[in-house]
Amino acid sequence: MTTHPAIAVEGVARSFGDVHAVRDVSFEARAGSVTALIGPNGSGKTTLLLMLATLLEPDRGSIRIEGHDPVADPRAVRRVMGWMPDVLGSWATLTVRQTLETTARLYEIDAAQARVRASELIDLVGLEPLADQPTRVLSRGQKQRLSLARALVHRPSVLLLDEPASGLDPAARIDLRILVRRLASEGAAILVSSHVLAELDEMADEAVYIDAGVTASRASVEASRATVRDWRVRALDPAGLTAALAELGVPTSGTDHLGVLVPVTGEAEAAALLTRLTGHGVGISAFGPAVGDLEHTFLDLAKGGRS
Amino acid sequence: MNAWITGLGTIASLELRQRVRSVAWIVLLSIVFVVVGLVTLLLWFALAQFGEDGIDNAAIYSSIIFFVLLVGTLVTPAVSGGAINAERDAGTLATTQVTLVSASQIVLGKFLAAWTIALTFLAASLPFIVLAVVLGGVPFETLLSSLGVLVLELGVVSAIGVGLSGLQTRALFSVVTTYLVVAALSIGTLIAFGLGGLVNQTQVRNVYIGLDYSGPVDPETGIPEEIRCLEPQVSTYQVPRFDRVWWFLAANPYIVLADASPTTFDSNGYPEDLFGGIGLGIRQAQIPPETESVYDECEEARNGFKGSNDYPTPEEIYASTVPSWFVGLLIHAILAALALWGATARTRTPSKRLPKGSRVA
Repeated sequence: MTTHPAIAVEGVARSFGDVHAVRDVSFEARAGSVTALIGPNGSGKTTLLLMLATLLEPDRGSIRIEGHDPVADPRAVRRVMGWMPDVLGSWATLTVRQTLETTARLYEIDAAQARVRASELIDLVGLEPLADQPTRVLSRGQKQRLSLARALVHRPSVLLLDEPASGLDPAARIDLRILVRRLASEGAAILVSSHVLAELDEMADEAVYIDAGVTASRASVEASRATVRDWRVRALDPAGLTAALAELGVPTSGTDHLGVLVPVTGEAEAAALLTRLTGHGVGISAFGPAVGDLEHTFLDLAKGGRS
Repeated sequence: MNAWITGLGTIASLELRQRVRSVAWIVLLSIVFVVVGLVTLLLWFALAQFGEDGIDNAAIYSSIIFFVLLVGTLVTPAVSGGAINAERDAGTLATTQVTLVSASQIVLGKFLAAWTIALTFLAASLPFIVLAVVLGGVPFETLLSSLGVLVLELGVVSAIGVGLSGLQTRALFSVVTTYLVVAALSIGTLIAFGLGGLVNQTQVRNVYIGLDYSGPVDPETGIPEEIRCLEPQVSTYQVPRFDRVWWFLAANPYIVLADASPTTFDSNGYPEDLFGGIGLGIRQAQIPPETESVYDECEEARNGFKGSNDYPTPEEIYASTVPSWFVGLLIHAILAALALWGATARTRTPSKRLPKGSRVA
């Protein structure tokens, strides 16, 4: 792995008139890992990605992509960076294949290699049946896949994905997750922004939380992770479970169609609870956090921000 | 440098592939073909009433060329006006900007594509132009210069259309502004020239020394037998100074087209065709009026009215004045270059500012 982080952002701010879209963002993303960019609507995720993608100049702060400054040397950044925007635009009259070939040509790849690369990418994102159809006939999810393929044309080592899973059906989401993990294992640094936190939970190694244009500090993220959260417990015999919990003096915070919710602080306490329940002879069939790591941290940080 | 040209070519061919497949283009092309054909036919019948001599055929040719310029300048803004801002709206500009092509390649590539499309409209009218040349016996140089100016003028309108589409956020506004620029050049220059000349008036003093015809007159020459001069009559009046505003008119594309065509003169030094006549008008406008003039009829009579006619012939005016088509083309080239330069500056990324109400992505 390289010694410097693939993406390094330090104190970046950008405003549009009186709207401070990004106030103070700092984070790093390493090669070979998937970093989730998490924040509510309007928190500045897309603006941040535009700055990383060399389209927008930051007012303050510094950005380095593979050591290159997007403001001073956008060409060097563009060579190594692939960007999948949240807006799905495509050249309506061109076919899927022509779109990818043209994009390759715009990356200064020669015509013969561009053809080969286009075929590879059509295979990769599963658009073979539509390869020679004009892109205007594609559905939203298919356009999404084309957009991902376009971002990969020049084999970038830094990949910026803005809401890549929106509009994808469950099977395509799984494909996307597998593809993203594979690209990371091949050494790419991938930054993914999404609202679908469960999706990111399974995909991301690291997370950057952003709210109102400010990234949450590492300390506050750690603190949030350690706060009380609900774990869901399901037993073969729900009545027996309720009885056992009452007997053990464990408070519950509710019951839903999947099981009983139990507030727990940290993984050690969860492990201890499971041991006690099985020791009590309850047949546990499912035991896990009710909400994903990312969602829990995100909600907790959002709560902290508002109070 | 090679990679730069390849990138430019990729952008231009991408733009062309998108435009040429559009139904709008084919419809417009057919309309242009039919309309120019009809106008040619009508002109032919209308002007044939006046007889079969060369000047009428030249008039048909001139009228067709003017009409082709009119159609070309009306159609080109429609095909070039949304080149950049429509793509920005569709979200395909940003995905192009993150590749290795630069803003200047994007803008110039789109300009070349728009120009090419505009030239297809010229090509659609070419059969009728050639027909007018063949049937009208128009000199080959005239055809060459007309086509040259048409090609350049369509390029200027394309450049202004693409440039304004880069400078303005909304595609509709940039198309309309391009039409306004075309209107300003085609009609606005005429108004500015007329008003400018009238506002800028100069007083002219004219002295007239008359001849007394009250005595007996020689029946042969019509000159009085005894030449007696009358008192000099001084008159002053205002004349418009078109020489100060002639370059307004020079910027008119129709004047450029007319003035650029090589003019042939008859034995009296008068231009033989319509283009030459229009060219003569703009050349004459360049000459400042004489603020002091004397007409001594008395002196003329003493010479038996044999004095040399010191008025220059049109041919001499042509030779002594600035070729206004050149000035006009220069003005147009500067406008086109400014528009493209502005659009390039606006399309350059990473961008500092965003046009109001638009997103980058």
